[in-house]
Amino acid sequence: MTDGIKRRDFLKVLGVTGASATLTGCSEPERLLPYVVAPEEITPGVATWYTTVCGGCSAQCGMWVRTREGRAVKVEGNPNHPVSRGGLCSKGHATLQHLYNPDRFHGPMIREGDRLRQGTWDEAEQLLAAQITATGNVMFIGGRMGPSMSNLVDEFVAAVNGTRIEYDAVSDAPLREAARITYGATGLPSYDIANARLLLSFGNDFIETGSSPVAHNKGLAQMSAVDAAGSKGRFVYLGPRLSTTGLNADEWYPIRPGSEAAVALGMAAVIADDAGAAGPYADVLRAYSPAVAAQAAGVSEDSIRELAERFASESPTLAMGPGVGGHHRNATAANIAVMILNHVAGNVGRTVHYDAAVSAAAGAYADMESAVSAMAAGQVGVAIVHGANPAYSMPAASGFVEAFSQAAFKVSFASAMDETAALADLILPDRHFLEAWGDSMPRSDVVALQQPVMQPVPHFDSKSAGDVLLATSVHLGNDFGATTFYDFMRNGHMEMHDDSVGDFETSWRLALRTGAVEHDMGTTAAPSQLQAPEVALSFDAPALDLGGDLTLLVHPSPRFGGGEFSNSPWLQELPDPVSKITWHSWLEMNGTTAEERGIREGDIVRVTSPHGEVEVPVWIYPGIREDAVALAMGGGHTNMGRWANGSGVNALALLPSESEQPSGAMLTLATSVTVTPTGERRRIATIEGSSDQHDRPIAPAVALADLGHVEEAEHDEGHAEFQELQGVGGFVPVPSEGGAATAFPLEGSRHGPYAESHDLPRWAMAIDLDKCTGCSACVTACQAENNVPWVGEEQVMMGRDMNWVRIERYIEHMDATQAGDLDVRMLPMICQHCANAPCEPVCPVFATYHTPEGVNAQIYNRCVGTRYCANNCPYKVRVFNWYRYMDENVPEPMNWQWNPDVTIRTNGIMEKCSFCMQRIRDVENRAALEDGRAINDGEIVPACEQSCPAEAIVFGNIRDENSRVSQVVSSERTYRVLDELLNTQPAVHYLRKVTFHEIASGGHD
Amino acid sequence: MSNATKDPIVRGALAHPDVTRLDDVNRDVLKVLATPGKGWWALFSLASLGLVVFFTSWGWQLYRGIGVTGLNAPVGWGVYITTFVFWVGIAHSGTLISAILFLFRAPWRQAIYRAAEAMTVFAVMTAGLFPLIHVGRLWHAYWLIPYPNSRFLWPNFKSPLVWDVFAITTYFTVSATFFYLGTIPDIAAARDRATGLRKKLYQVISMGWRGTDQQWHHFGKAYIFLAALATPLVLSVHSVVSWDFAVSIVPGWHTTIFAPYFVAGAIYSGVAMVITLVVPIRKVFGLEAYLTTKHFDAMAKLCLLTSMIVGYAYMSEFFMAWYSGEEIERTAFWNRLFGTYWWATWIMLTCNMFVPIMLWFKRVRYSIPALFVISIFVNIGMWFERYVIVVTSLHHEYEPFAWGIYRPSLTEMGILLGSFCWFSFWFLLFTRLLPPIAIQELKEVLPPPMRKQKEAHS
Repeated sequence: MTDGIKRRDFLKVLGVTGASATLTGCSEPERLLPYVVAPEEITPGVATWYTTVCGGCSAQCGMWVRTREGRAVKVEGNPNHPVSRGGLCSKGHATLQHLYNPDRFHGPMIREGDRLRQGTWDEAEQLLAAQITATGNVMFIGGRMGPSMSNLVDEFVAAVNGTRIEYDAVSDAPLREAARITYGATGLPSYDIANARLLLSFGNDFIETGSSPVAHNKGLAQMSAVDAAGSKGRFVYLGPRLSTTGLNADEWYPIRPGSEAAVALGMAAVIADDAGAAGPYADVLRAYSPAVAAQAAGVSEDSIRELAERFASESPTLAMGPGVGGHHRNATAANIAVMILNHVAGNVGRTVHYDAAVSAAAGAYADMESAVSAMAAGQVGVAIVHGANPAYSMPAASGFVEAFSQAAFKVSFASAMDETAALADLILPDRHFLEAWGDSMPRSDVVALQQPVMQPVPHFDSKSAGDVLLATSVHLGNDFGATTFYDFMRNGHMEMHDDSVGDFETSWRLALRTGAVEHDMGTTAAPSQLQAPEVALSFDAPALDLGGDLTLLVHPSPRFGGGEFSNSPWLQELPDPVSKITWHSWLEMNGTTAEERGIREGDIVRVTSPHGEVEVPVWIYPGIREDAVALAMGGGHTNMGRWANGSGVNALALLPSESEQPSGAMLTLATSVTVTPTGERRRIATIEGSSDQHDRPIAPAVALADLGHVEEAEHDEGHAEFQELQGVGGFVPVPSEGGAATAFPLEGSRHGPYAESHDLPRWAMAIDLDKCTGCSACVTACQAENNVPWVGEEQVMMGRDMNWVRIERYIEHMDATQAGDLDVRMLPMICQHCANAPCEPVCPVFATYHTPEGVNAQIYNRCVGTRYCANNCPYKVRVFNWYRYMDENVPEPMNWQWNPDVTIRTNGIMEKCSFCMQRIRDVENRAALEDGRAINDGEIVPACEQSCPAEAIVFGNIRDENSRVSQVVSSERTYRVLDELLNTQPAVHYLRKVTFHEIASGGHD
Repeated sequence: MSNATKDPIVRGALAHPDVTRLDDVNRDVLKVLATPGKGWWALFSLASLGLVVFFTSWGWQLYRGIGVTGLNAPVGWGVYITTFVFWVGIAHSGTLISAILFLFRAPWRQAIYRAAEAMTVFAVMTAGLFPLIHVGRLWHAYWLIPYPNSRFLWPNFKSPLVWDVFAITTYFTVSATFFYLGTIPDIAAARDRATGLRKKLYQVISMGWRGTDQQWHHFGKAYIFLAALATPLVLSVHSVVSWDFAVSIVPGWHTTIFAPYFVAGAIYSGVAMVITLVVPIRKVFGLEAYLTTKHFDAMAKLCLLTSMIVGYAYMSEFFMAWYSGEEIERTAFWNRLFGTYWWATWIMLTCNMFVPIMLWFKRVRYSIPALFVISIFVNIGMWFERYVIVVTSLHHEYEPFAWGIYRPSLTEMGILLGSFCWFSFWFLLFTRLLPPIAIQELKEVLPPPMRKQKEAHS
């Protein structure tokens, strides 16, 4: 055996040639370097979770962040947070896209003539210190920030003898002012919606904006759930336009814009036996009889009287005053009127609390007005803007842009370009909240810590604003007792720490782990009596600037807020919960109004107010009064980022720059407008086909009175046609008698086609349509979890939106001319994971098939792209990759957000909801590693269920009789969409919406 | 052949009285293969240009993605599937005319069957491209073919699309074989006159045909055997294509009438296409003596019959939708007539049901220009029939919130147009390379060449 090649030599040669083949195979070798020293807490392939606080809006919800290999890939609601209690809104999810926003600054930017040059941090900080020393007159314009940051800014401003202006683009100032005037409260009131039996919203869009949309959404869902006694809370919306919040109401009083005060007082007058109950407001109460209120609101006196009586008798009740969309010239008075109504109905201390000092965006616009005049007068040397974008979010009429330019040196802390930063001389890009330390105090008794969950995104040389201020202070010769913001914040918390509850370090770590700590602050004596106003208030209809015959309603967008979220493609592509339109702006107009003017949907109209004009397409909406039109904020950015720029129009262009008195809030309901067609038309980028169910059993409802005998009611009322058809479908013969099925759903069909064969789980889902508010948080959560691409406005117009969750919004009854019942059905449509899936037999290559666990699986690699499955899917939940959306639309570093557990799909293949298969596998694997233990019910939580603030979604094994999903599904309200017609036997079960009014024809009128 | 001796009049042959000798046939038919005229070159250039459009559009689609079409959710199938079914339909009359009418001894087929068969082969070649154009990942389309593979996966035999693969490939194989077999004696005839390269080509593809008794004997047996094999395919292939739709649960597709309805429609469109193609051939090549008005009359009658079957199918679909009492089905058909795509439905009804009513009149059936115009109408109508079935059914399905609209894109139009050019390209080549009229069968109906006559002429 001396000749030839020995086995060992052969392997050596093989190894060498193999390696060289690998080397020469790649023309451009990728520089993939392994960890030299592996970090301890990172196991490749295993997620690490951190708690933090959402910095998206002023609600400051608790957040869990999943990181993989050091990258934040998903944010979720933290159930331990005492305010938000789990759940997260779409905007919260989209904060991840701000983290990886490719339009972020790559470092501090210093103006040189017309252009900005990237500098070093040291240079930038020295420049700022030098400017402060040289010119003085520092003005710090800041948006919402945590308490520690706020303290630092105060100290910084005080040390340089500057002024600080608090500015919130979307602010609840009138509510805060009203609470201060009437009860001497220091913050916003807190509401206990869940326990109200009758909830009135006077144009308050509490699940979209306000102090805590997620918590309020949860409260609304809990309130409207049917309790053990068979009753549920009723929600009445009073306002000129139905927002997402309004669509969830049981009744709608389409009152005239600005008539909230009159209606609230008219109701209070009915409730109060004697006007004296209103204390100092007795005279007001006497002046506003129901007749006066009816006159002002344009609804019948009887309906107001009747509502008032119910409001008194169905105690506890709750009324909420006008929010941001209703900030007219008497907005504070309107909020006071609602507080009087709550007062006389005895709700104070029961469903509404004034002692919690809820902190939320409530800065007074009036302060900004004075800042503008100071700047315009040349009294400001160094103008610093942090966490705000007034050049966009103040009406053009305010003159902010011109005034800001008068400041000698303009500084912005914007992390990415926006309209204000574009004017600045120095840009100090702040860290994203997921990269930085911070804290929050959503309520006086709750402190939550915001901890960085990852190293700063390396593409951007950013620095926390707190650190910048501290470093600049060093240059200025000031000392705040810390060199980093982390130390500053920790010191502050250490000072506040009460040693009786244990040592600081332990509670600090506990707070980091749980995300929030509740302090028992002791109840500050809540004033029980109304206090007299110190200024004269008018409760009459507010004056409007005369610009035409239609009242303009400007409201914060449920997707973009006041415009600060606009540069997120997830939110741009998220269908608006009301209009289902993506990307561009639209003008809401009642069909009657449009018909009178010969305007059709999609016509581009010119909206003219005394303050400006915009051109925008019309969307016909039966949920708005005939004398009003509505436009959402958040569109029309000119200098923000690639997705925000040029998308939609800025509604603020139509508004005056004027503040409400006495709160100083920016007016949103201040002018009437003229609407003239331009003669041009455009295709609306909507996902909506038809908002009419066409009598199909898709989103049926049941009247509260019929609960307990749902099935009988259905048999009686026109259900026979579907009964007959049940005789024809499916693989299992349907037991029938005389052509009519006798047992449906079929026995065992809930467990899928493998009911008999083995004991694997059948994964199933229950969605309670009585709880679902259509807020669309699940849509974005799913998009983030499953690497679902966005496709852009053009593609949406072609009907190629790719969201795996489609929230269908069917309008059953909506009357904008009189007070009455409202019936809108929200239905989150996802893959139904049918046991008899029509998509499965038609796929020629088995790309879609049924797993033994009852999941309708889609194998991306196997898909050839015939699209037959999508044609044959009666639910239309399959979406197709028409282009390489992920490659083409996702720039570096936004791809860092991709979930490594989910395949990135290329073009030409079909995809759809997988029940978050990766999460199922994750739990299964973990259970297998833990001595093969059984999986606990509720351990597997799909992204949509996790995110749902209303807790409308439950996932689990339906074969287990004790699982949550089995329990929920055992409700008599349970039905499966189109199952009776097609025998598809879906795994997704819906629970009918429960209405107060009667439902005609078997639940689907 | 044995029946060549029979009296042509007894056999009901339709040969032109001017043609009396076998030589005339050879002369008249084979002159078509001579150097092409300007007209042919013009058409051929146009078709080649169209091919450029075709492959550019397809290439663009492959490069950019299937998104360059107007397809979307819910309309996942559009112009491509419409055109696929259209060409499969066209392919049907060729086999019908050559095989079924051969078995039924309908002698009028002799003059047109060669062109009809060629049309069949080229139409299947065109149709077969469309599923490939249509799929999202062309490079994986071979996964639909069952063969032992490393993935240990067979195609899903439940899927009608897999049945399609079998139906189309089988039909192409049989119809191409049938077409080629029937051409062999004529290629030999052409070989005997040809020179140069062309002669070499004919020598190879005529497979040594010398016209011996034994060869004629085998030829006759093989021909009748293949005709018998092809006949059930005429019915089965389009039935399978119809099941692409009927097997689904889409309202407007899920109908038992689809198989016979599609077969009738296929024959209808195929015969119309034969008329469309034969009229110019007859004119350009001066074959009036062979393609007589009697031939056209027979084809027109076939058109009339199938148009009535198709019309009946339309009416019964509407009737059943109403009679079923099923609201979703009713809505689908109401929407077909009066919805977004009402115009397509009315084009379909006008072209396929109303225009062919004129064929009841003998004067129309004997007027070649009139027939040509009507056949064009039918071609358009039959394309729209498939468009109506595919698109209007999909755009309003079960879930009203997911209803949508489909607008074909320029790329799709380019490929639709290009498919006609692809077809014409092959057909034009065929008219130059193979005798477009069956010489040997025409000769069968002429008086046999008696020695006396031959002597007299020579």
